[in-house]
Amino acid sequence: MKRLSVIFNKAPYGSQAGRELLDIALMAAAFDMDISAIFIGNGVYQLLDKQQPDILQLKNHSPTFKALELYGIETILLEQEALAHRNMTEPQLLDVAELTDNATIQRHIQQSDFVFML
Amino acid sequence: MATFSLLVTASPHSSQGQYSALEFTKALLQQGHTLKRIFFYGDGVLVASRLNCPPSDEINLTKSWAKLAIEHDFELTVCVTAALKRGITNAAEADRNALTGDNLDPAYEISGLGQLTEAMLESDRLITFG
Repeated sequence: MKRLSVIFNKAPYGSQAGRELLDIALMAAAFDMDISAIFIGNGVYQLLDKQQPDILQLKNHSPTFKALELYGIETILLEQEALAHRNMTEPQLLDVAELTDNATIQRHIQQSDFVFML
Repeated sequence: MATFSLLVTASPHSSQGQYSALEFTKALLQQGHTLKRIFFYGDGVLVASRLNCPPSDEINLTKSWAKLAIEHDFELTVCVTAALKRGITNAAEADRNALTGDNLDPAYEISGLGQLTEAMLESDRLITFG
């Protein structure tokens, strides 16, 4: 089975990247593939709980991250160094991702057949 | 020899990604590789408007892609959601969404994200130009 990694490295709402990458992940999930969602750098902001983009008249796509597992995307990794650098802690986040060190994430990406990052 | 597909998300008007993708495509075809599909997503879809009209002494990416695709028989596919959001539409989508006109260049086709996944699975390499 082909292994696909979808890498989120940008904060939400400042660009469409997170939303559009999420759509790629959900579509790929309809095919028979081993898919991982990986959050690195500013991408960790994608998983902040209690987002209120409606104040900016933007659609909140973060609830969809909670549904990734339902779509069969069960490997969800979050770079723990990125979280620490931003003075953020796990309780501030949606409870979906596994805190993982940078080296493990690098190995995971190396083992992927395909990688998407926008 | 390998089969390639490209994902192009770069804006044709404000970054170099589209031009790099075009040159990369020419190079891989010259070397005898096969190209299955160019999939345009995000701001990359803006290249599919036949109304793009850069100054005459600048490269016209819309026409450059179209010419290459016709010569070498590969697909130029535009994501429907990304395209409609940015005002790129064919006649059928314009009709469906009650829009007053259409602007998709005839060398391009509008389709869904499934075409990106399919291209990935049927190619040896998928290269992103953002």
